[in-house]
Order: sequence, then structure tokens, then C-alpha cells
Amino acid sequence: MEILAYTLISTGLIFFLGTTIGLLRFPDFYSRMHAAGKGDTLSTVVILLGCICIVSTQGDMSWLLGLKILLIINFIFIGSPTATHAMMDAGNKAGAEPWRKDSK
Amino acid sequence: MVLFALISLSIQNLMGAAIVFGAYSFMMCLIWAGMGAVDVAFTEAAVGAGVSTVFIVSTIYNTSATMRSRPGGMAFKFFIGVVVTLAGAFLLSALTDFPDWGDPNSPVNATVVPYYIENSIDDTHVPNLVTSVLADYRGFDTLLETTVVFIACIAIYSILRIETAKSKTDETEEGITSPPSYDPSDSLIVRQASRFMIPFMQLFALYVIAHGHYSPGGGFQGGVILGASLILLAISFDLKFLLRHWREKSLMLLVASGVFLYAAVGLACVFMGGNYLEYGILDSILPGDQAMARSHGILLVEIGVGITVMFSMVAIHINLASNGRFDRGL
Repeated sequence: MEILAYTLISTGLIFFLGTTIGLLRFPDFYSRMHAAGKGDTLSTVVILLGCICIVSTQGDMSWLLGLKILLIINFIFIGSPTATHAMMDAGNKAGAEPWRKDSK
Repeated sequence: MVLFALISLSIQNLMGAAIVFGAYSFMMCLIWAGMGAVDVAFTEAAVGAGVSTVFIVSTIYNTSATMRSRPGGMAFKFFIGVVVTLAGAFLLSALTDFPDWGDPNSPVNATVVPYYIENSIDDTHVPNLVTSVLADYRGFDTLLETTVVFIACIAIYSILRIETAKSKTDETEEGITSPPSYDPSDSLIVRQASRFMIPFMQLFALYVIAHGHYSPGGGFQGGVILGASLILLAISFDLKFLLRHWREKSLMLLVASGVFLYAAVGLACVFMGGNYLEYGILDSILPGDQAMARSHGILLVEIGVGITVMFSMVAIHINLASNGRFDRGL
């Protein structure tokens, strides 16, 4: 069970690394926000799933703690993509132009 | 973390500086969590990395987005740098006189801390030592901290608030039946998501206030989360939407009522014959014995703190976001 937890947390960290590299390397505002929003949410959810695995091995009533972490995952799953959408909308209104292949 | 502080001071674009400031706050929160001070880390995460960044961004929105250089040039900056470095070195040299961290023989750890650890549950029936020290043993400090939040709210309000004649006619025209003033065609996703999230945020914040006796939490943290839920309402919908539901007069009255509740609990103790803020005297009107009365007293003052902090955050955000005019928002 703990090996599963460590695997999940390391996978989450690898996704985070991918997100950060994408954030630095993409040429355009929209693709950067795309990478940040998706990668951020996914890595956080995976790391918290790993935390559920760790928590369920210690203590009694640990299913309650796991349920609470599941609720946190639910909240992040709803809130973080909405925030990304709001940022992209704001960028669109502010006039950021999408990258075209022939412009650079 | 020092790196974050240096970066946030040197960035010319103020929006970037605000984000790095939020990251610095988050680093402080992690350090405090690492040291074991979970209550402080909770408060820092809620206030510093959350609401404070919103305030700074609101201020930048209403003022310029880049930093203008001060008149005086390099010599002035050098002088300021020397003064700050000397003050910092002075403070750091005082650090060498401190006892080692966690030393069991230092005066704090030898006499004060064991008293709290041994007697706190018997005196107050509150398992969370931090809450019992904050709200009972050192209740004056918390009362004055709440007053400081209240004064900050009043200061921002009195500096920024502008009453124009137009706003008065706006308020009398819009009744309950007026159409929604936000543009219905944009940001539907944000509105629906925040409509879903806000009740859960408020429920969680009430849980944090009420459960401050047993887990990290208490009045400040719960109040900030409640205030953040209303700020989310103001940001995702229109500012006028929030103002239609929470009128300006009731907002400012509620800010004051939290401090009033805290001070009134103290006065009630005086009326019952004890010292100011000695909750144990209240055991004749509150259920339970003296220790339970102290626990109930702690709960009452935490509720007072939560109310003040919540409406202070909302009032400060409204003042900052609309530059005092209360008509448009972020």
C-alpha cells in the first residue's frame, strides 16, 4: 500500500515537472495557460491520492481522513480548471493573440 | 525564501511582484508548518497567500502597473540600504543570545510551557493549547489584535470612500426586482462554479471557527475563509451584486459588532464580579462548571473575532477594488 502511495506521489511530481517545463517553453499565452491548468490540477489530484494511500495505513478512523482528502480533491477539481478558464477569458479580453506558425 | 523576498522587491512590473509576494507568503507558511506551528501556518496561508494577494492586485489595478523610480538616485538608495543592513545586523546579533531552539532548560520551556501543557485542559477544557493560550490566558492580546484589524478596515474606508450624489440615487432606484447587473453572456462557467463552491467554503469556515478548540483553527482563520467566500462572490459576479445583498451600512456595523462582542464578553465578566475577560466567573449564567464556562467564553470571543475579520476583509476588498466609489469592481 505504501509503495502505491510513493508511486502516486512520484508520478504527481513528474507531471508537475512536465507542467513547469511547458510553462517555460511554450511560445504563447494560451498554450502556457493550457499546460499550467491541466498539469497543475492533475498533479495535485495525483499527489493527494497518494496522501490518501499513506493516511489509510495509519490509525483507526482513517477512512474519515481519507474521505476528507477526497473532498479536498473534489474542491480542487472544480476550482482549479475554473480559475484557468477565467484567466484565459481575461487574456482573451485583454487582447492576447494566439501564436501562429508563420509569425515566428 | 530570502530569494523570493529579494525578487519581489526588485521586479519592476508590479503584477509580477504581487505574485512573487504571494509565493513568499506561501514559503513562510511552509516554514511555520515545518516548525510545528500549524495554527500560524493556517492563518498565513489564508491571509498571506490568499486574501492579501487579492488586495495587492486590486490596488495595482487602480494605480499604475509599473514601479516609478524615486527621486534621489543611487546615493539615496545606497544610504537606505546601509541603514536597513545595520538595523538587520543589530537584530540578528541579538539572536545569538537566544537559547537553543527546543532547549528544555531555557526559561520559556522550563517554567511557562509546562504550566500550560499541564493545566490547560483542567482550567479550560480546551484540548488545543494554542487556542486556549490565545483566547483565554492571553485574551487581551487577541482583543487588541481584533481591534487592529478593525482599525485597518476603518482606515482604508475613511481614506478611500467617496460619496457621490450619483451613488445615492443608484441605491434608491435598485430594488429587489431590478435585473442582474452583470453581463449574462460572459463568464457563465466562473459564475456557476463559484455559486457551487461558496456554500461549501462558508460551511468549512464555520467548522474551522467552531472546531478551533480541538484542531488548528479558530476565529482568525475561519473569519478569513468566510471573508474570502464573499470576496469570491464579488469577483465572480459583479461588485454591485454583493452590495445589493450586503449593504454598506450593515457591513460596517457588522465589522464593529465583532469587536463589540469580544469586549462585551469581557465586560460581562466584570459585571458578574470577576476581572475583565475572566471567563470563569460566567459559570452562573453559562451551563457547566468554571472550566466549561471558560471554554464557552473562548468560543464566544472566537466568534466575535471571526465576525470582525470576515467583514473587514469584505469591506477592505470593496474599498480597494472600486477605489472607494463602490460602483464598479474587479
